[in-house]
Amino acid sequence: MSAAEHASIDMELVDRLTKEETAALDAKHARSLSYRSEAARHLPGGVSSSWQMWPPHPIYVSRGAGSHVWDIDDNDYIDYHNGYGVMVMGHAHPKIVEAVQRRVALGTHFAQPTEDALIVASNLAERTGLPYWRFGNSGTEATLDVCRIMRAATGRQLLLKIEGSYHGHHDALMVSVFPTREDAGPRDHPNPVPQTAGMIPGAAESVVNVPFNDADAAERAFAEHPGLIAGMIVEPVMTNCGVVLPDPGYLERLKGICAANGAMFAYDEVKTGFTVAWGGAIEAFGVRPDLIAYAKALGAGLPCGAIGGTEEAMSLVISGELDQVGTFNGNPLTMAAAKVNLTEVLTRDAYGRLDEVNAILDGCNDVIERYRLPASMKLQGAKGSIDWHTEPIHEYRDLWDIDDRVPQLAWLWQLNRGVFKSPGSKWESWTTSIVMSDQDAQRYVDNFESLAAAITA
Amino acid sequence: MAVRQPTEIDLERVDALIAQEEAALEPKHAASIAYRATAQRTVAGGVASSWQDSPPHAIYADHGQGSRLWDIDGNEYVDFHLGYGAMVMGHAHPKIVEAVQKQAARGTHFAQPTKDLHAVGENLVDRFKLPLWRFCNSGTEATLEAARLMRANTGRDIIIKIEGTYHGHHDALMFSVAPDPDLIGPREHPVTLPQAEGIPDAFAKLVRVVPFNDLEEVRRALAEHEGNVAGMIVEPAMMNCGVIFPEPGYLQGIKDLMHAAGAYLAYDEVKTGTTLAYGGAAEVFGVTPDILCLAKAIGGGLPCGAIGATQELYQPVVDGVYDMAGTYNGNPLTMAASRVALTEVMTPDVYDHLNGIHKVLQDGCTAAIERTGLPAYVTGVGAKGSVIYSETPVREYRDSVGIDERITYLAWLVQQNRGVFKSPWSKQETWTTAITHSEEDARKYVANFEELATMLTQ
Repeated sequence: MSAAEHASIDMELVDRLTKEETAALDAKHARSLSYRSEAARHLPGGVSSSWQMWPPHPIYVSRGAGSHVWDIDDNDYIDYHNGYGVMVMGHAHPKIVEAVQRRVALGTHFAQPTEDALIVASNLAERTGLPYWRFGNSGTEATLDVCRIMRAATGRQLLLKIEGSYHGHHDALMVSVFPTREDAGPRDHPNPVPQTAGMIPGAAESVVNVPFNDADAAERAFAEHPGLIAGMIVEPVMTNCGVVLPDPGYLERLKGICAANGAMFAYDEVKTGFTVAWGGAIEAFGVRPDLIAYAKALGAGLPCGAIGGTEEAMSLVISGELDQVGTFNGNPLTMAAAKVNLTEVLTRDAYGRLDEVNAILDGCNDVIERYRLPASMKLQGAKGSIDWHTEPIHEYRDLWDIDDRVPQLAWLWQLNRGVFKSPGSKWESWTTSIVMSDQDAQRYVDNFESLAAAITA
Repeated sequence: MAVRQPTEIDLERVDALIAQEEAALEPKHAASIAYRATAQRTVAGGVASSWQDSPPHAIYADHGQGSRLWDIDGNEYVDFHLGYGAMVMGHAHPKIVEAVQKQAARGTHFAQPTKDLHAVGENLVDRFKLPLWRFCNSGTEATLEAARLMRANTGRDIIIKIEGTYHGHHDALMFSVAPDPDLIGPREHPVTLPQAEGIPDAFAKLVRVVPFNDLEEVRRALAEHEGNVAGMIVEPAMMNCGVIFPEPGYLQGIKDLMHAAGAYLAYDEVKTGTTLAYGGAAEVFGVTPDILCLAKAIGGGLPCGAIGATQELYQPVVDGVYDMAGTYNGNPLTMAASRVALTEVMTPDVYDHLNGIHKVLQDGCTAAIERTGLPAYVTGVGAKGSVIYSETPVREYRDSVGIDERITYLAWLVQQNRGVFKSPWSKQETWTTAITHSEEDARKYVANFEELATMLTQ
């Protein structure tokens, strides 16, 4: 479809629909709204993480089972949010519930090693082909450790990252996460833009950004900073502007460029691990990095993180020269849940269900065609997105052309029709789960079609 | 009882005793030692955190109940380690077990707010007298936020920290944690030394290190960086060289100095919060900071963290111009455990019990010290205590550098061989008691200590 063939979206109509949908949503969330005013007395914004403040108002969740969640107003949703991509195994999976209930009675925390850590690590080694593992408590801690190792192992200080990628909340990489057009600088030399006030002064200047899917840009960055870049960290599927797949050969070239420059090559698979395939992006795209950061789906809904690496990459940690530490690292309750999750729930076979769900979600493509929407869809395992853009998003800067109002309406539209997508919908899309039914998938497509009809009317 | 004059400890004898105790320990841990050989094929070093790899070998835990811990060899210990101070409520407390079992069946994670948040928040307000709270997943994440909040709210660069304190694993504060005495420089201008490789050099210039318990040095630091100090972070009772109390007036003094300079005071109460007293060190020493970081004991044994602060500091977060975010922040399973741990288990009355246990430990160990002339003394309050192997009081990190680590290592081995699990790396980490400890448990610690004191002074 060329741009001329796309239906035009009347933004005044979008604004009017958004107003209607917001009003409809407010009416359903009387308890969430009143609870928030109480919670806000002791919790800034009434929530525990700023991402939970998404407009029009935070939605307080009561419980989940399988592919469904219920909020405190007892609205029932099919969950495509899945806790920002964590719950690909579905909520309260009986095997996970059993494992947690059993372990909690035996003690949850000793700060001593326990046997389950080995089983989890062995499974991770099998999935990735990376032999050595350590644990942490979040994606933030995992990528922090990855940066520390890359710098310690090379004695270099600069890190190379992708413009528009988020790698957690610590200072080393919280740079150019969502830079505005005004701040971002030229594409061939993006400015390092701190994502928040209060970061360590100089942290941003320790990072070089390059666009995704442009290996030449990465090569140039190494040439411009000879001998100074410790390593490159990349989400093999870029996930904060929809689901952006790597171009064929891109990851392989990055790995080669890093190796040629004596730098390390790391994946942030916090989002793609255990979701895009059984073996994550390594299986899906066939390129193995030196280091990898995991979190999210690993722990079956308990706070978790893991870093894996080659023997060479992990040698400083193995030898004890570099401490990789944390009181809760390898927490026995988390490990008990992760063990069952990885070995009994998210098995190789389970991923077939995600493909079946995607075959139904593919119906959104038909809707895009029939309504000539200026949009495209991407699907990879449990991850999917609709880019409200005439061309598929290929790198972060493509996102600037998207009018936020359309994906925000899409989010409201689904929410009012029984589908809970991740908020922040311009850059966060959906996560399916292995327990979704055909009807769960069809509901998404049906809602998408009614939205398409409404905005092209 | 006669108080003997301090006896010089013979370090050659200590070495011989260490060899003897290590030899006794090894056969008890055949399963741990064998398991480690397997584990290290995929788990780096065979452990999930480098601190779990304490000498002489990693000990794999199997299960815990109340004040007891069992390793995979079936050895039973009275647990004074308590997961580096997290399990002050005891292992597998029935109320926490029930709460976790119930919540697991209702779903563990939504990344949406849930109703337990507010109950936990209210309890923390009651304990620590700070109005607003957010949650995270570790002490590291909590102090990271504290450093950032201070810088964001002032627009300034420098953070003052205490020499010899640990505030987590991130880049902002991982300096001069256990600095090499040969490299630390003059006391009035300590060298800011990175604790690990892999921290950019430039970050060291942003951390001004001062000794604990010295207001004059804080004044000096503020004067030297006039107008550029964002704040100071301090463990109100310093915890990594034994339990070091703040001297009277010190905490109020640094708070006043910070405020006069337009800067903030942050407490790292990751170790002391809900362990020293119901309201942590802030209650014990009577000074409320601007920011307070928690982790460890507040989560009922699940990964957790929390940051409390004043309305002023949190305003940018309330307004949404400053994100404090994390996928697992306020995790429903953690919050369910935390709610019960804080509101039903660690109630105000249990602190009397902890102080009673502390008294048994303090009196018993002090009597042994006096009887044998061991150059040592006992400190602590509530669930936290330590034996400090120094004739003169340790007021700051530099006072502790002369303590020979072999003595504290031997102390750990002696307890370990006699059914008491203390925190490893014992020079820096001491004991934590739980509300499930009995006086008999405490007397066991004392009896072992008496034996050690005799061994060291014979």
